[in-house]
Amino acid sequence: MNKKIIFRLDNVNVEFERHSLAQRSLRSALGRKLNRHKSEKIAALKNINLEIREGENIGVIGRNGAGKSTLLRVLTKVIIPCSGKVQVDNSKHIVPLLELGIGFQPDLSGRENCFVAGMLIGYSKKEIEEKMNSIIDFAELRDFIDEPVKNYSSGMYARLAFALATDINPQVLLVDEVFGVGDEFFMKKCMIRMQELMNNGLTTIFISHNLDFLISQSNRLIWFDGGEIKLDGNPFDVAEAYRNSDNNLKLVVSG
Amino acid sequence: MTSSEYIDKRSLRFAWYYSLSQLKAKYRYTSLGFIWNFLEPALYLIILSLVFAVINRMNISDYAVFLFSALVPWRYFEKVVNLVMESLVNGEWLLKKLYVSPFAFPINRLIMASFDFLFSIVVAFVLFAFLKENWTIHLIIIPLAIIPWAIFGFGLGLICAVLYTFFRDVKPLVQMILTLTFFTSPILFSRTVFVPDSFQAKIMDFHPITYFAALFQKPVYNAVWPSEIDWAVSICIALISLITGLILINKYKSQFYYYL
Repeated sequence: MNKKIIFRLDNVNVEFERHSLAQRSLRSALGRKLNRHKSEKIAALKNINLEIREGENIGVIGRNGAGKSTLLRVLTKVIIPCSGKVQVDNSKHIVPLLELGIGFQPDLSGRENCFVAGMLIGYSKKEIEEKMNSIIDFAELRDFIDEPVKNYSSGMYARLAFALATDINPQVLLVDEVFGVGDEFFMKKCMIRMQELMNNGLTTIFISHNLDFLISQSNRLIWFDGGEIKLDGNPFDVAEAYRNSDNNLKLVVSG
Repeated sequence: MTSSEYIDKRSLRFAWYYSLSQLKAKYRYTSLGFIWNFLEPALYLIILSLVFAVINRMNISDYAVFLFSALVPWRYFEKVVNLVMESLVNGEWLLKKLYVSPFAFPINRLIMASFDFLFSIVVAFVLFAFLKENWTIHLIIIPLAIIPWAIFGFGLGLICAVLYTFFRDVKPLVQMILTLTFFTSPILFSRTVFVPDSFQAKIMDFHPITYFAALFQKPVYNAVWPSEIDWAVSICIALISLITGLILINKYKSQFYYYL
């Protein structure tokens, strides 16, 4: 357990203000100031303490709205928490995959998008040029790479984005349930690529609803519930507890 | 404070390549393509000079040179303020998903507007070739004269960007103020239309754009160097707005996520 700490969260709180569209205007802002009216707040993360070390492959599970995606946004500094401390090891190349195709512009071709989006996740022009062929091969887009991506199918789009994010050797990969699109074969290909990367010592944090994949691939599983960490430990035990938590939800099977 | 608190290499690289790709994509589906970059300012300048020459009853070629000299930098300034103001809100698609410096989008917009300025200044000089008789050494000051305009526009844009993120009412207000500023500034008309020491002439002394406009009007139209006061006032205003903008963004950047 003496490996380097990559992420460390101390008492991290994230709260969202509940504001409707009408409250965005100058008038309502003035009104709020004058009336000292406090707007309603929703806690997305409550007092999170977490340490993530090099080489760990972490799975994150939980119901919708449990704070899983907010956690990834805190780790990638997109959200600056209301209170608490976030420490990130900046020497590591961290690639977030919160959504497939972040930074893609519909009017640009697949190749042009690889450059813009690739730069966003921290690669230089040269690195992308070197890997261009292997990205195209993995995404199976040889005939379409110079077409604008707005003409791509959602599967083609996802393949290109995944290939780009994982082909250029990230050191830490944060993935938020992104394999919903694409066909069975592509999903399998992604899973295999993920396995390879994990076996090569890549640190991963993987949000998924695919429990079986998480049990077999991760060495630590964290269960989020209502913005708090409910359980954190051995993947098998956590998955078991998570599965048993919905005892009163049963599908009616006829016959 | 170190520079890394403002901008990192990755964000800068993105700002630059995103600008290039936008430039490529802008007229991609038009048949004239890249030529539009020149045609657009050309048509605008020609129409405006025709209209106002008639209204002002001035010699058309003389007036056009006067008008273009300050109108081209003003159009640039206005564009920078507007684009930078909207840059954070329009960058929501990225800012809420992936960390980039809060200055990445404002810088990207500044670069975009600067491309436009380059095209416009080329067009203006092509038109000058037909209109302008006295070509003097003073024209070489132009690359320097645009710098205070750029810094002022960028700084003001940053200030407006912070306000606009929190209060969306700011956009129409800013546009109105810019329009008012434009029509009261000595860009469309020369200061000399007023009687010296008259009330209107005194107002011109307090109009900030008077000094910015002089940086272009004097070398291009009057064939003299801009005065020290022109430089001092414009550079001071530019720096004050830039520093205010930088401070505001740094102060409120942790809250942008919740308001975008």
